[in-house]
Amino acid sequence: MAVNRAVETAPYVSALYTTVDRRKIIDALSKLEVVNNDEGLIPAFNVFVNQMPARFWTSFSERLTRKVGPELVDAAEWLLVNAAQECGYHTGQGIITSDEWNAVVAPMVTRVPEDVLHGAFAVFTAWGWAKSEIVELVPNERMVVHAYDYYEADVVRYGQRSRPAAFMVRGVCAAFMDLAYGGPYDPTGKSGLRTFKCVQTKGIECGDEYGEFVVTRA
Amino acid sequence: MTTMRLSDGLVLKRTYDPRSSRQSINGEQYVLHCHHFATLYTQLADDCGMLDGKKLMAEVAEDTFYDVLKTYYAEHQVTGIPERILVAEEYYAAMGLGLVKVRCAGPEAGEVELLASHIDQGWVKKWGQREQPVNFITGGFVAGAFSAIFDRAPRSYEVRETRSIVAGAETSMFEISAS
Repeated sequence: MAVNRAVETAPYVSALYTTVDRRKIIDALSKLEVVNNDEGLIPAFNVFVNQMPARFWTSFSERLTRKVGPELVDAAEWLLVNAAQECGYHTGQGIITSDEWNAVVAPMVTRVPEDVLHGAFAVFTAWGWAKSEIVELVPNERMVVHAYDYYEADVVRYGQRSRPAAFMVRGVCAAFMDLAYGGPYDPTGKSGLRTFKCVQTKGIECGDEYGEFVVTRA
Repeated sequence: MTTMRLSDGLVLKRTYDPRSSRQSINGEQYVLHCHHFATLYTQLADDCGMLDGKKLMAEVAEDTFYDVLKTYYAEHQVTGIPERILVAEEYYAAMGLGLVKVRCAGPEAGEVELLASHIDQGWVKKWGQREQPVNFITGGFVAGAFSAIFDRAPRSYEVRETRSIVAGAETSMFEISAS
């Protein structure tokens, strides 16, 4: 899967070239086993991690957004995206400063933060959130991500959903741009977080071939 | 594929499908998330009074974990009550949700103690203590587990959280009664 598929004359093409080897990262990190401690907790990346069936999260979001009614659906969706954006911001910072990152990804990084972003989406793929890659990147301004498989699309088994439903991918895409271009990481989330926003313009759950996520300044 | 035997109770088989980039345990797709994600979803459920979001979240947890445990018991031929309880406790820990101990269990009622909690401790870490319970996920887990353990259908049990780590207690307590 190539990341430099943009038209070569486009102004954003240079940011797509990367020294990050996606395949190598995915091969290495997809085999990582997450094991609980004696208290049944998984402290990692400066957060508590959980590993739950994906359908728990999608069942909750699907039932909630279907039941709130048309006047509140935008607010409910924003809150679901926001949960992912905070998660992606804090856990993303934990990941890009972790031993695993330093061992596998950091040696491939030659340009900061663009290579870090490419590496982050390789990790995002390896750990089963979404098979995704950056297809357009204007540093400090805009990013477009394509996701070719993601668990949030599973809410539809037949037909097409009228509204996209990849709230987690949306939030994490925005969070990664926050980390890249939103200023120094702020553990309180008061600054740095929500400097970018993401709109989902295509979705597998809507009948598209892939999900498309467009991130711009908030 | 790797097989991990945490104890005599629970066997986890992890797989990664490179074609779809999905991670599975025992054939069920799993995903890593953090306490920020879990507590913000919980807060959303708590705030959503018009729908009874707490009940909605508990029911989603009940349905999910009932299915997972019921399938596991059938595939691994786990028929004894103590063995089923051990699997449920170890499964809860393997998910990183904490340390849960069934103190007593019968087809009509039971008591479950939570000695460590991803949701409660995550909530305290993020926002501090609060008086009202927040662990709707575990309430649903316990309801689903009791239904699976005693071969009942989902919604056969009501679960009340009577003591909470998030409120400053050393452990949380859940009381279960048949509906």
